[in-house]
Amino acid sequence: MTTDRAGMEYKLTYSDTDIDLMKTMRPAGRLYWALLTVLFLLVMAGGWAWWMQIQTGIGLAGKNSPVGWAMYITTFVYWVGIAHSGTLISAILFLVRVRWRAAVYRSAEAVTVFGLMTAGLFPFIHLGRVWVAHWILPVPNFDGLWPNFRSPLAWDVLAITTYMTVSSTFFLVGMLPDLAIVRDRVKGWRKKVYGFLAQGWQGTDTQWKHYTAAYVFLAALATPLVISVHSIVSWDFAMSIIPGWHSTIFAPYFVAGAIHSGLAMVVLLLIPLRRSFGIEKYITMHHLESLAKFIVFTALVVGFAYMVEFFAAWYGNEKYEKAIFLYRMVGEYAWAFWLLITTNVFVPLLLWSKKIRTSIPCLVVICISVEIGMWLERFVIIVTSLAHDYLPSAWGLYHPTLTDSMIVIGSFAWFFFLFMIFVKVLPAVSMWEVKEQLPPPLKERG
Amino acid sequence: MDLKRRDFLKIIGATTVATTLPGCTPKAPKSLIPYIIPHEEIIPGKSVWYASVCRECPAGCGVNIRVREGRATKAEGNPLHPVNHGALCARGQASLQGLYHPDRIQTPLLRTATGGWEPATWEKAEDVVLSHLQETLRQGKGRDVVWISSLQTGSLRALLGEWLASVGSKNLLMYEPFGHEALKKGNERVFGAATVPVYEFAGVDTIYSFGTDFLETWLSPVAFARGFAGERGFGESGRRNTLAYFGPRLSMTAANADAWVDVHPDMLGNLALAFVSVVVGEGLSRLSVAETTRISALVEGFGPEQMSWPTGLTVDRIVELGRAFAKSPSSLAIAGGAVIEGEFGAQTAAAVNLLNYVCGNVGRSIRFEGAESPGTLNTYADMDRLLRQMERNQVPALFLSEVNPVFTIPSSSGIAAALAKVPFIVACTSVMDETASLATLVLPIHTPLESWGDYEPREGVHGVMQPAMQPVFGTKMLGDILLHTGRRLGRAGSFAAPDFHVYVMERWKTIHARCGKGKTFEEFWVESLARGGAWETLPPQQVRLARTLAATDLCGPKDAPPLSGKTFTLLSSPSIAHYDGRGANKPWLQEMPDPITRLVWGSWIELSPDDAVRLGVTNGDRIQVSSPYARCELPAYIKRGLRVGCVAIPIGQGHTSYGRYANGVGVNVTALLDPKPSADGSGGVLWCGTKVELVKLPGKIALASVQEAESEFDREIIQEIPLAALVRGGEAAPVNAPSLYPPQEYLKHHWGMAIDVDKCTGCSACVTACYAENNVPVVGKQEVMNGREMAWIRIDRYYADKAATGAEREPAKAGFIPVLCQQCGAAPCETVCPVYAAYHTDEGLNGQVYNRCIGTRYCANNCPYKVRRFNWFDHDIPEPLNWQLNPDVTVRTKGVMEKCTFCVQRIVEGKNTARMEHRELVDGEIAPACQQACPAQAITFGDLKDPESQVSKLTEEREPRPYHMLEELNTRPAVTYLKRITA
Repeated sequence: MTTDRAGMEYKLTYSDTDIDLMKTMRPAGRLYWALLTVLFLLVMAGGWAWWMQIQTGIGLAGKNSPVGWAMYITTFVYWVGIAHSGTLISAILFLVRVRWRAAVYRSAEAVTVFGLMTAGLFPFIHLGRVWVAHWILPVPNFDGLWPNFRSPLAWDVLAITTYMTVSSTFFLVGMLPDLAIVRDRVKGWRKKVYGFLAQGWQGTDTQWKHYTAAYVFLAALATPLVISVHSIVSWDFAMSIIPGWHSTIFAPYFVAGAIHSGLAMVVLLLIPLRRSFGIEKYITMHHLESLAKFIVFTALVVGFAYMVEFFAAWYGNEKYEKAIFLYRMVGEYAWAFWLLITTNVFVPLLLWSKKIRTSIPCLVVICISVEIGMWLERFVIIVTSLAHDYLPSAWGLYHPTLTDSMIVIGSFAWFFFLFMIFVKVLPAVSMWEVKEQLPPPLKERG
Repeated sequence: MDLKRRDFLKIIGATTVATTLPGCTPKAPKSLIPYIIPHEEIIPGKSVWYASVCRECPAGCGVNIRVREGRATKAEGNPLHPVNHGALCARGQASLQGLYHPDRIQTPLLRTATGGWEPATWEKAEDVVLSHLQETLRQGKGRDVVWISSLQTGSLRALLGEWLASVGSKNLLMYEPFGHEALKKGNERVFGAATVPVYEFAGVDTIYSFGTDFLETWLSPVAFARGFAGERGFGESGRRNTLAYFGPRLSMTAANADAWVDVHPDMLGNLALAFVSVVVGEGLSRLSVAETTRISALVEGFGPEQMSWPTGLTVDRIVELGRAFAKSPSSLAIAGGAVIEGEFGAQTAAAVNLLNYVCGNVGRSIRFEGAESPGTLNTYADMDRLLRQMERNQVPALFLSEVNPVFTIPSSSGIAAALAKVPFIVACTSVMDETASLATLVLPIHTPLESWGDYEPREGVHGVMQPAMQPVFGTKMLGDILLHTGRRLGRAGSFAAPDFHVYVMERWKTIHARCGKGKTFEEFWVESLARGGAWETLPPQQVRLARTLAATDLCGPKDAPPLSGKTFTLLSSPSIAHYDGRGANKPWLQEMPDPITRLVWGSWIELSPDDAVRLGVTNGDRIQVSSPYARCELPAYIKRGLRVGCVAIPIGQGHTSYGRYANGVGVNVTALLDPKPSADGSGGVLWCGTKVELVKLPGKIALASVQEAESEFDREIIQEIPLAALVRGGEAAPVNAPSLYPPQEYLKHHWGMAIDVDKCTGCSACVTACYAENNVPVVGKQEVMNGREMAWIRIDRYYADKAATGAEREPAKAGFIPVLCQQCGAAPCETVCPVYAAYHTDEGLNGQVYNRCIGTRYCANNCPYKVRRFNWFDHDIPEPLNWQLNPDVTVRTKGVMEKCTFCVQRIVEGKNTARMEHRELVDGEIAPACQQACPAQAITFGDLKDPESQVSKLTEEREPRPYHMLEELNTRPAVTYLKRITA
């Protein structure tokens, strides 16, 4: 199969594109509904667990003293990380004119938005008193009390909400021409809804002129956020004094890890998407392969970051720092540490082989491995450092409970639940950008 | 619809309540004042203090009970009391939980035909007692009526005697499980005085403890800790005492020693004799030639050469230790307690007496005037004889008051079967216990804090008890019951006093005659009530070496018993939290970590690391322990500092009928013990020496530990300095490293604390005092295992980094350090709180605003000292235990962080008092609860801005001793530790 620079097959036409890519929005089959029901039930179970936790106390989760943060913050950081690939693919690759992004960026942006919508739950879930969570917002209350801007948690709030705003704007604005196509093809109340979402898009020259300018502008606005959000999230740890957290490498290290897991998540979502809607012509092996190559790169970056961390601990010769890194390798959580090194660094390196990175089953397995690895990476960073900090008398272990497991599983279900709804109600592959990559429909083609 | 304004408001009100999230509603406060008619002394919001006597153990410390709005909320040591001088141990602090125990018996209980309990009125209960007594008297068995009481002196003892006399009986048995039988026998043999003398630690330079845990449970631990620690630290005198501890187990007391010497318990007496031999042999004794010659003959064959092998010490070491003791200007050797109370306890005590005698300590550091009241106790042998009488149906009626022998004496003595032969048993107790549950009738009596009375812990120290508050339940004072029933019996004796209060006052007229010169009785009585008692000085009482003393009175076995692979020597160790088991029903004490093992809520079997390796045992393994008398299962705990071949089990747990907090927790070690009274002539319980076999069973039994780590991993947490370096003057402490934040400014005060690590004994009185003062919740065993204990101050224990097993093994060494919020000047917790719930006050406190906290727990993560505690749940405190809550301190709800506040409520109260009196605060006026309770006076609190304050002087930068924990983090703590001194 020959492909052009955008990775799509030749001989696709503009009208083919509209027809093929709207296939995703046809009424759903039984399998879809069954899956959606299962996900919904899992979300409900997680929600019930949260409700019980609010009623009874956060003690239902397995945290303790000294491990005050555990699975919730792990999963929070994990989802924020997942949310990175979207903006990376849609904004950064757009600005540097990587053409293969056209077919995949919409899904990647959805991953961003839903990843943030999942991540955003966790700061609430983990709070001891979620009913007063709004005190963390920079709204002066009746006492004139502002949040403490020295606290990285206050920065977090600003970073995440900014990222959420920009990435959802980018997501919706990027969809305008496609929503207009949908509007033109549906009837009844749907027409009104999509009509509203399309915001009167007619595809006139003026509109396109403003639109492309705005798109570049938004892409440029979103790009620094890719770096800043996870840097700031990493400062939750790096700004503390806990050995194993207090490290200047954390910002780039977290950003690389975020992109690593985000790319793997995009691959994991695209594979069933192209298969079940028969849009392999648009999302081709070339796209998957490009993403796989990117994963090899990020695996090397995170692998390097791990080495630097250990090197710095050894070279710095600081007793607490040395102790915590030794503890990670041989302590109670050593299994998690070695598993994360394997799944995050060594397994993705298999993608060097073209044979492996063009095999769909291999890709799925490797991407799942990266997801497991990146979740464990945050778990190991958070839990081991807290479990084993300065005073040996205070050392302690964390054991997950039913409540926090249910909530974490529920969060995964919530993410996939949102994504599945997205593919049915919104165009999951950008039609207008795909068309941009196609040869214009000239008369003589006839 | 016509809606009136009133209806509208009703609906709004109702719907608001209905829609309020159940998760967000704090618990509604209950009505506060228990008095129906307000007492004239009660000023809402103002504390009233009542002096009384602590009756949690026979030590009889003076207490002051803080009463707010008619409710006792805190027990503190009485600074005027000559025993404890203001300090109070954890058990004393927890006496309030005995007062407010939710399982207290509220009405008399009568045994039904089916074996259940039937509540009865007081009239009915007294009728039952009287009719039974009259029946007994008709049968002419009045003289066989027996009363077993806990140790009482003064009025109650006299009244019990009178009451028994009125039915023609003399059988008053004062029984305490730790009855000092061996010590009394040793004193009788050596000095002809079967009493418990007074031990004076003040001014003593060299202390040798032969297995005596005098800082924990033995005799009068608060007084001893104060005396002992008073000579520690590095005061202006430049002196410091040294303590050597000889015994098989590194107990808390042993951990305070400068040297712990591992000696088999049966060899302790021989070691003392070897020291005597050195002293007299080298002519170091302070005795006449004749006496020296006599003593030399007595210790013939116990020279250092002969005793070196059995005791395991080198000859040189014995000589050196013996010489050091004799040459010390002032010395004290102590033998007593469970470790020596084996088969040769009396011999050990006698041998140690001889050592004291040859070194001239008798009459100086050991005095026989003003003897301790436990000397008047009956022995276990007396109890055993009584049981045999019961078995022969010779006891027609048995009365018990505040004793629980079914729990505390070895169960294989057959006490349960013996009690079953007694037709009528009346138990006077405030809570159901194992003994009361076998009674015919249970009479619920006042706790000591609700009662009138007096107690004389030592001759000449007359403590007076007064009710600190109205009775919590419909109970009666034991004295009133005695007077009332005595009157109704209508036999010999007057019982003229209308109530026990008057009876006590009548008896105090004799004390008035002795101590109240120049005052009317009224004045003397009121003064005594305010002071907590009256103290008299007694003339010195000389004792001489008894003529009858023979070598056989002194010597135990010549050889240490060989270690066999299978059997172990059992040491049952009194628990600092539960004493003989009476503390086990108090949640504060259950949750107070054992200082040396750091375990809570349970019992365990301690194995030495070598034995653990040999048996393949790790912490928590299920171990079946079998003695010839019983078999039980316990979790293993590998204890550094335990003699190979010995195992230790704490006393006090394993209750079956002692209320919700005690039942089913741990195992009662007394079941394993040999029931015979000691054959050494003392007639005590064989607390030490029962041979047990261990079998490792599959599976684990949960151990709830608050500290798993044993070593400090070179983190220099407990810092030490040699005494020699101190005398020379050490190097200056480093000054604070720079910080990016602007320096904190302190306007008027900067509160600070100095903790002398050299003085801290690890007793944990401060821990319980903090629970009481600051409404710190108890979370229970499971939550402790989950790592969620709430203590604001904890005593960390670290063993010195040394090999625990194998050939290079050295004697284990452990140290204690209290850790509380360090109130850092550059606090890591404050910067990370997103909502300013953690903030710095202008007086240097790390404030924590509970109702601002949203529960991110970031502050706790970022605290390097890990002193912040999170409320994982709302903590239910069952009625009426919640009456104890301090009204000055917020009860925290779920989801908020809390921590030590330096008792900010006390700081506020102190400042208010000073302002009302138009004066400046005086240094030492404000004492946080931990400092107030500390028997060792290790904690000093004050204003760092005042250069003249004691705390400023202690923490002066030039001093070589002050240091900050984790100094390198530059957190600038307001808590300064003073280095432990090594001899």
